[in-house]
Amino acid sequence: MIRMNEGVRVIALRDSMRRGEGWGREQGREVHQRLLRSVEESPGVLIFMVSMKGVSRLDISFASETVVELARRFRGTKGFCLIDLTDPDLIENLDAAAEKKGQPMLVWHGRSADLIGPEPSEGAREAFGFAMARPKTRASEFAAHRGISIANASMKFKQLWEQGFLLRRESTADTGGVEYVYQRIG
Amino acid sequence: MQCVIRFPAAWVDISKFERAMANSCGPHDPATYEVTFQFPVGCKVMVDAAIRLLSLANQLAATTRRVCLDFEEGEDGTMGYLNRMGFFDHLATEIEVTPDWPAYSTAELHRGGNRALVEIARINKDARDEDLPIRLTDALMESCWQRPDAASLKGAAFTIFAELIDNTFSHSQTQVDGYAALQVYSGGNRLSVAVSDSGLGIMETLRPSLRTESPRLHNLSDMDLLVEIFRQGISRHGADRGCGLKGCAAKAIKFNANLDVRLPGQRVLLTPAQGSYQPNTAHCYDGLPLLWGTHIAFTFGLNT
Repeated sequence: MIRMNEGVRVIALRDSMRRGEGWGREQGREVHQRLLRSVEESPGVLIFMVSMKGVSRLDISFASETVVELARRFRGTKGFCLIDLTDPDLIENLDAAAEKKGQPMLVWHGRSADLIGPEPSEGAREAFGFAMARPKTRASEFAAHRGISIANASMKFKQLWEQGFLLRRESTADTGGVEYVYQRIG
Repeated sequence: MQCVIRFPAAWVDISKFERAMANSCGPHDPATYEVTFQFPVGCKVMVDAAIRLLSLANQLAATTRRVCLDFEEGEDGTMGYLNRMGFFDHLATEIEVTPDWPAYSTAELHRGGNRALVEIARINKDARDEDLPIRLTDALMESCWQRPDAASLKGAAFTIFAELIDNTFSHSQTQVDGYAALQVYSGGNRLSVAVSDSGLGIMETLRPSLRTESPRLHNLSDMDLLVEIFRQGISRHGADRGCGLKGCAAKAIKFNANLDVRLPGQRVLLTPAQGSYQPNTAHCYDGLPLLWGTHIAFTFGLNT
């Protein structure tokens, strides 16, 4: 079970790279291994904010093998988002890699975030927006907000969690049963 | 059998290179034991054609054929120009050059000096040059840095070089090197980016996996499949891969670039239409003389 107060850690991609430019699958796989080590050093950390500071260029293959692969690998259990990222070309390449791997990722600019990679399905879009507007939420809250059944809201959140848009933890509901608390990534 | 490939006394782009090759008896033909490339006075080989020529000449030398490059104008003509772009730095030493091999490499002489408008670089998977896409991009920006879209062009060029070079690593399984080249034409309004390898060819590595994994794609013609490689991204390593060439195409289309892909027996020419490369605007040439590998060239029409 995931505890909500477990920390957020910032890891700098540049620290795992030999230079500010990253390209190619082989180089990407090497960097992935180093990033993986950083993740495994922090077993209690739920959310990793990957800083792009100091990364001047990366191609799509490199982006795919490094941060996007890491997010895909831990989908559902740990969340990865991007910070310090403004270069439109870098964003475009990360977006192309995320899209191809079917792995959504958030790019945070202060308190707002852009989504790269695949988008939520039409039916789950509003639920995603609802979850993004608050640090944590429950299906029952969204159900009440939208006037839909809890089962319907649960289904939408479960889909968002499975597809890597949100994280979730188990919690005890007021009724004594199990309820999931959903959390945005970052 | 002796095979003669004679180029015209004009600018030789990829199309003219192909025409000259098609008019010959086939340099890779099993009966061919000697190949002569003739460059008449007034012939000027453009960089994207030059790296295909370099790949072909080295392939023929690697298959023990006698190869001769005959420059009728000597170093004053296209030979001097090829020397300037580093052609002879990469040409197999057993190849004969008439009137003679250049005494020294003018590419080496100029390297790091004046603005590098043209450059050929070697790609070898056993000696990976991690700086290569960066160096080629920097060379390009030497002549394009004043453009209002310089940052976007730089990003596009880096991605195209990096992805194409990385792609040759996965397809190149021969001892013959691959090459990357760029040229900014005078006036700065036209840019050629080309990468050639002498490996198996993209279809040969892709087709076997498609038979089982994606029968729909397997049933496409080579031309349609090639268009799909650049449109949706297809890889023999599964559905989540293959984004590299698709990404290159997406960047190139922003600059309205034409794309030329030469496979061992075919050539496909793609022109952008409605923001992507479409099968119905592609030109395909089939049954061409054998040229090992995959040869990709983007031509950007840059507005000044």
